[in-house]
Amino acid sequence: MQVGFLDFYGGVLDVRDQRSTLIANNIANADTPGYKAVDVPFAAALQAQLQPDEANAADNTDDTNNTDNSVQYRASTTVGLNGNDVSLDAERIEASQNGEAMLGATTFLHQSTNDLVMALRPNPNGI
Amino acid sequence: MSNDIFSLVGSALEAQNARMGAIALNLANVDSITPPGSQPYRAQEVVFEASPVAGGDAGVSDGSDTAPDLGVMVAGTVQSNAAPKTSYDPSSPYADANGYVTGSNVSQVDQMVDLIDSQNSYAASVALLQQASRLDQQMIGSFQLS
Repeated sequence: MQVGFLDFYGGVLDVRDQRSTLIANNIANADTPGYKAVDVPFAAALQAQLQPDEANAADNTDDTNNTDNSVQYRASTTVGLNGNDVSLDAERIEASQNGEAMLGATTFLHQSTNDLVMALRPNPNGI
Repeated sequence: MSNDIFSLVGSALEAQNARMGAIALNLANVDSITPPGSQPYRAQEVVFEASPVAGGDAGVSDGSDTAPDLGVMVAGTVQSNAAPKTSYDPSSPYADANGYVTGSNVSQVDQMVDLIDSQNSYAASVALLQQASRLDQQMIGSFQLS
């Protein structure tokens, strides 16, 4: 299925927004005993945003493929003595990366919208 | 509703503030002494709790009506059960029969390390707040008609 740029950037911004919330939650719980950092896999979540029916069907039929778009534990860093594995530095890097990508998506969306509006305008020369 | 970054970071700042308050209280009482027979001052430690559940399957926001509130909250305070400090000072009015004075069990070094950790988390939350605010402004600004 062909998705237009509005759908596409809408999906990108949705997933980016969800990620920014989760990263903020990780940073908020940096000192909570037993808390494990969570994140959402971007590619799978975007896929689910763009093609919700197909993603759900794939999840139901095949558990082994890697299109699980739900929130997952990051599980990449060492676990502290209080059972917390949030790395503040890693989360801040993720936050800025995610933010810049969000800004980039917004810029592209604005540019594409401008181009579309320009293409829809009547020819000023009347030819 | 309350899953936006601002309320989430707000809960983090509130929690770290409570923690720094407890640290300040402990440091203020580091040299408190008690008369024999009464309980010495014990260090307060703030315990955080993810509110109410984060991660797992419940955190997905595509349902948009079942998404739980994220953030952190103070679950309570516990008292440290480290042994209280005693010092030999027979001239003190609070000295016991053997001349020992019972003080608090606050470790100044531990409290300072805890304070630095808390400050780090606070700074990270504030940085996130500033970044979110800057991003919102730039995104709105990028849609301005030129």
